[in-house]
Amino acid sequence: MNEEKAIIMKNIGKDFKVLNRHEGLKGSIKDLFSRDYNIVTAVNDISLEIPKGQIVGYLGPNGAGKSTTIKMMTGVLEPTRGEILVNGCVPYKNRAKNAENIGVVFGQRSQLWWSLPLIESFRLLKEIYLIEDDEYEEMISLYKSLVNLEPLLHKTVRQMSLGQRTLSDILAAFLHNPKVVFLDEPTIGLDVSMKAKIRDLIRELNKRKKTTVILTTHDMGDVDALCERIVIIDHGRMIYDNDIDHLKSYFGSYRTLKLRLPGDKWVEELIDESKTDAMSVISEYQKKSKILDIKLEEISTEEVIKKIYMGETVKNEKISGIDNSRDDKDLAI
Amino acid sequence: MNKEIIKNKKRGLGFYFRIYCKIIAQDLKSKMSYRADFIISTFGMLLTNIVGFMSFYILFKNFPSINGWNYHEMLFLYGFSLIALTPLQCLFDNNWNLRMQVESGDFIKYCFRPINIFFYFISEVFDVKGLGQLVFGTGVLVYAWTCLGIPVNIRIIIQLILLLITASLFMIAIMNVAAATCFWIVRSGYVMIVMFRFKDYARYPVSIFDGIFKIIFTFVIPIAFIAYYPGIVILRPNEIPLLSKLSPLFGILFFWLSYRFWMLGAEKYDGTGS
Repeated sequence: MNEEKAIIMKNIGKDFKVLNRHEGLKGSIKDLFSRDYNIVTAVNDISLEIPKGQIVGYLGPNGAGKSTTIKMMTGVLEPTRGEILVNGCVPYKNRAKNAENIGVVFGQRSQLWWSLPLIESFRLLKEIYLIEDDEYEEMISLYKSLVNLEPLLHKTVRQMSLGQRTLSDILAAFLHNPKVVFLDEPTIGLDVSMKAKIRDLIRELNKRKKTTVILTTHDMGDVDALCERIVIIDHGRMIYDNDIDHLKSYFGSYRTLKLRLPGDKWVEELIDESKTDAMSVISEYQKKSKILDIKLEEISTEEVIKKIYMGETVKNEKISGIDNSRDDKDLAI
Repeated sequence: MNKEIIKNKKRGLGFYFRIYCKIIAQDLKSKMSYRADFIISTFGMLLTNIVGFMSFYILFKNFPSINGWNYHEMLFLYGFSLIALTPLQCLFDNNWNLRMQVESGDFIKYCFRPINIFFYFISEVFDVKGLGQLVFGTGVLVYAWTCLGIPVNIRIIIQLILLLITASLFMIAIMNVAAATCFWIVRSGYVMIVMFRFKDYARYPVSIFDGIFKIIFTFVIPIAFIAYYPGIVILRPNEIPLLSKLSPLFGILFFWLSYRFWMLGAEKYDGTGS
């Protein structure tokens, strides 16, 4: 069973002891011995099972506990409560062993050697991860087929644009063919075409290598383009765990129909698709007058997420009523 | 499964040595490409050393001997300490960046690789400008050596090399500890600077200091082991104190302790939010 799950978390919680700091050099020496702590709970009672090969969007407002969870999954932090297994091993107990099977990209922080050309970084990673020659060659030729690698290989990371650097970091994270890759805001600060390129790359690598991807992002474009499943946490608690379509139906399957009628005026109709469909509304109008133009607007993922972050979550009974085909555990709260 | 066993075997000393050589070779290559930067920093280092030497020279112009130590003996310790400092400056220079990386959260990247964190962090920077100091220090040592008429034979050369390694271990250990304080203290920059300044006292024989400082420089901040205790073995072979004989052991122990302290900090590190 563990074989099929890339990540298993059971009732994971993390408390931080925050020291009440004193001022100045003298104060900081005092802090060395101080026992004056406040306890802050960053993450509480998160249970999650992620099967191999899935791309999961891990969302939440700033300070929700996303980074803390990721750090626990990568073995940097030890959870205060609960059990965690990544690729069948306990990350914080075997940080180095866990590191062999994961890849990590932090959108704003390159993990490559700043002053080395990309190809040299790759060669060092090959040594560090003990990648076999044939596996390495295979990966490089896969990369060459997916992106225009040649111009990047001989550039140092320092000389790269942000987009190129992010691309390089993602390639480096997948190089040792890890089972799980953590991407923390990979498209932050990138232009539209670069974003698309990065998304294509992630999707393609996930498909070819069956890599599990945990993606944290604030860009709903990333979520729409990549994620089969979304997990949302806020205030350290999981508030949603399901696929993207269900997310939209949180607020009913509403669409806005806009019709331009003679006299250049737009008419807006809010359509609840569970009761009526857009075509019948259009034909209603058509009976009365001529329609010059039609627009159909969906409620965007962004708006849904915004509503959830702002605490406008629909009542509990509505959430649990959405889906009966999945296990109950998929629906947190 | 089989593959994993092989993998575990391979990450021994040989593995780290191979990676280290590769990183340094690459780093050197890239440094050479910034030629102006390379020349200026080497020149600057040389200048720093010359100025440092000048003040030393002026001091001894006025006091031909301090507490029974003559000019050439002092010069010997001076050169010795410069050489002993070279490994620190060439190989462990990244310690100076530790505080910034810890504070900004960038340090977390070192936690994601399946290799030793201390090694990964330290290996990242190889500072060539320390080599200028090595040349200068060797010159000073050779000059003092000839003036003092110390014999040259295999035994004494091996002794010298062992003593230099010992002294380096102490110097590195002090800076490891000073750098690692940043895992606990926010404004730890001072600690490093103060410790690094202390090394200037290392070149004077600890016997010239008062009792309390003698104890501090021997047991608390062991800079006396950087030149005095090892140097005395060659300078005064008839009156070698016990501490000199034990210094290689102490050096290894102190280095290991400093490494453990550093790692303790690194392992409890949890990064800043992002």
